[in-house]
Amino acid sequence: MQLPLRRKVERDFWENRLLMLFLILKRALVAFLTVLVVIVLSGVLIHVVPGDPVTAMMAQSVTATPEAMAEMRARLGLDLPVWQQVGLYAWHVLQGDLGTSIRSSESVAQLLLQRLPNTFSLAVSGLVIALAIGIPLGFLAAVNRGRLADTAVMVIAVLGVSIPAFWLGLILMQVFSLKLGWLPVAGSGWRNIILPAFTLGLTYCALVARMTRSALIEVLAEDYIRTARARGLRERQVLLVHALRPALISIVTVVGLVFAYLLGGQVIIENVFSWNGIGRLAVQAMLERDYPMIQGFIVVFATSVVIVSMLIDILYGFLDPRMRQK
Amino acid sequence: MTSTTVTAATLRSLPFTVILGTGLALLIIAAALLAPYLAPFDPMRMAAGPRLAAPSAAHLFGTDEFGRDLLSRVLMGGRLSLGIGVAAVVSGLAIGGLLGLLAAFSGRLVQAVLLRVIDVLYSFPDTLIALALVAFLGPGIENATLAIAISLVPFYARVTYGLAAAERAKPYIEAAQLAGVRPGRLVRVHVMPNIGQSLIVMGTLGFSSAILSAAGLSFLGLGVQPPSPEWGAILASGRNYITKAPWILLFPGVAICLTVLSFNLIGDSLRDLVDPRRKGRP
Amino acid sequence: MSSPYLSVRDLSISFGSGEFRAVRNVSFDLARGEILALVGESGSGKSLTSLSVMRLLPEAARMTGRIEIEGRDIAVLPPRQMEDVRGAKIGMIFQEPMTSLNPVLTIARQMTEGLIRHNGLSRREALAAAATCLEDVGFAEPDRVLRQYPHQLSGGMRQRVMIAAALALKPGILIADEPTTALDVTVQAQVLDLLVDLKSRYGSGILLITHDIGVVAETADRVAVMRGGQILETGTVDEVLGAPTHEYTRALLASHLTVEKSLRLRKDETGVATS
Repeated sequence: MQLPLRRKVERDFWENRLLMLFLILKRALVAFLTVLVVIVLSGVLIHVVPGDPVTAMMAQSVTATPEAMAEMRARLGLDLPVWQQVGLYAWHVLQGDLGTSIRSSESVAQLLLQRLPNTFSLAVSGLVIALAIGIPLGFLAAVNRGRLADTAVMVIAVLGVSIPAFWLGLILMQVFSLKLGWLPVAGSGWRNIILPAFTLGLTYCALVARMTRSALIEVLAEDYIRTARARGLRERQVLLVHALRPALISIVTVVGLVFAYLLGGQVIIENVFSWNGIGRLAVQAMLERDYPMIQGFIVVFATSVVIVSMLIDILYGFLDPRMRQK
Repeated sequence: MTSTTVTAATLRSLPFTVILGTGLALLIIAAALLAPYLAPFDPMRMAAGPRLAAPSAAHLFGTDEFGRDLLSRVLMGGRLSLGIGVAAVVSGLAIGGLLGLLAAFSGRLVQAVLLRVIDVLYSFPDTLIALALVAFLGPGIENATLAIAISLVPFYARVTYGLAAAERAKPYIEAAQLAGVRPGRLVRVHVMPNIGQSLIVMGTLGFSSAILSAAGLSFLGLGVQPPSPEWGAILASGRNYITKAPWILLFPGVAICLTVLSFNLIGDSLRDLVDPRRKGRP
Repeated sequence: MSSPYLSVRDLSISFGSGEFRAVRNVSFDLARGEILALVGESGSGKSLTSLSVMRLLPEAARMTGRIEIEGRDIAVLPPRQMEDVRGAKIGMIFQEPMTSLNPVLTIARQMTEGLIRHNGLSRREALAAAATCLEDVGFAEPDRVLRQYPHQLSGGMRQRVMIAAALALKPGILIADEPTTALDVTVQAQVLDLLVDLKSRYGSGILLITHDIGVVAETADRVAVMRGGQILETGTVDEVLGAPTHEYTRALLASHLTVEKSLRLRKDETGVATS
């Protein structure tokens, strides 16, 4: 009696692991295809430049001799047919070669990779702040649905999505750095991260609060909440264990989305606070029309978004028992 | 059932937020339309007053670094911002709507490819798509508008696809198809009238996002160029006077916030009426 | 029969401005070891009545009347004291076993939390007690079930887990709100038999909410027929079903008999015997 049962449990175990692995592989394939689409799109983008990209790029340069322009055209592969150029570009990118910056003559991949840790640390700090503020606010609103606290949170939330992040950043800078002198205005030290991180966190906590609220309201209407109450549990336990846990699992699924939006807002915020991340590098490249750099930025940025949302999907698979073992 | 029955009773049942949002939006639109008459000074005229003057009776919003009247600039800037928003939403909705309909009414392969690409683009924030496009198109008001319009396409395409696919599943469409109605006519006569209202509501949602993108692009120097009084552009130049003349940052920022807020208030409430299953997407 | 454990007097429930009363002057008693069936069509107020005994009515509902448990009126208890009564004095199981268990918590967690909260057991003691209860409701491998999540169990298994979790707290009465309606026909009988069996083993009284007069006839000791928020007639099952005094009860019985008769006829015709 003991042995067959154990065998069955073991077999279930391995079946679950295999299924999980299969799901992860499938998700990774989707992620790879997404990145591929982005690479091709960014390869195509250079051809939507009105007029001749080389002329546009070298417009501000004093070394814009016909020879130099021809040389650059060849270097960028612009003398080939479009489909070949895009194919060549994609091929190079897949090998980790994002080309050379026109302004600094350095490897685009190198330049971007150097700044990636800065960008990542700011994004994660912003996300943590957004979650730390947004989830409790959403919880408060859902539990007091229709009452004053709910209305207050929803007002904050709609204000939050209506305030441009860069403007909020400027205001925080004005108050906390210039008026009160508590925090540095710009730079890349650990004290410098506080203001930009809070700017991002405060901007995107509204989104998190709304998602938390709607997820929790949905859960609170479930039969199993009534069951938990009928069991005589303390209301605190009903809310924190029976309601918040399933709600958090569904919130995890949208964290990837919040992260993508946060990264998008961050491009501007890095410029407001002179934070040395890829967003600042990218805007500089955009102003200088350093096309390989811009393409590289798009690819690196898109890949980060795709990888994060893939990781979150996989994390969701581990968190939700319905996904974990089926 | 039909739009003709939208009467006073429906209006009364509208949430307070919609009324507030609509009132605010109408006020802002009126201010933008009447800006040339309302503005006390020519927004481009330098030395209309002292440089970097604080708000006063003569200059309600103060003046900027060239002595231009900020109230006049913010008012005229509203024309630019709203204009970019409207142009971007209309063209974005047109392109996105067409793609969405195409996806809903085409064969399996076309549909799969279209949806996949739309989904990929949809997973990136629209501000970022606009930024990337402007980077290649080059700065300027036309390019910025075009870029913002395209950045809204994935959203509109997905919404339209969702609505059209739901409509397509209804029996009357099948009946019409069996009766030999051509796809073009089917969409024009049967589908569009049924999803048109929903699409207009979705239009207001894209509008606030378009305003934010426009301000962001101009702030970075990639959108509307100075000396045009676009709100984001005013903020960009006012940034250098953050301690000396904080009002240059205050008023255009508040103008952006109120505009976006009013359309968010309208869109959020109406969205629930149009698409009750939608959740959490900004 | 001992003195009533639960005694409901003049219970009325209204919504909104109070013009419409969904439940009107309902009174009944229930003793330990007894099964009282509240029978009626949907909307008759039977589920609201049971929820009011748990004080789990929706926020919009207003309730008047007395609900006494062992002589104490719980209708006026403050919420935190009511939390001590729920589960411990009155347990409840619901119609939908598929959605009534929390999908992200293990069966162990959901079965032990009440024991830890009400009986002050340690986690390990609670697990042992839960395992015993699962055996009582017919699980051969309780330890395996404890480690599982609800989605890994069938509907019938989940309802048995629900029953085990409620009875583990040894409540004086158990409210069963349409406990078999959502289950397969074959499982329905098993669950009903289980309830009757456990009633005698645990000594709890059962308030059985059902629309199915066949279920009443098979399981209940006494029955109260509800319609439009009122109790039309009440008495032992033999009295009421044997000699219904009320027109509506007769109609209920008649419709049930017709269905059963026609089913039997069909079975005879096709010669297919179903259990």
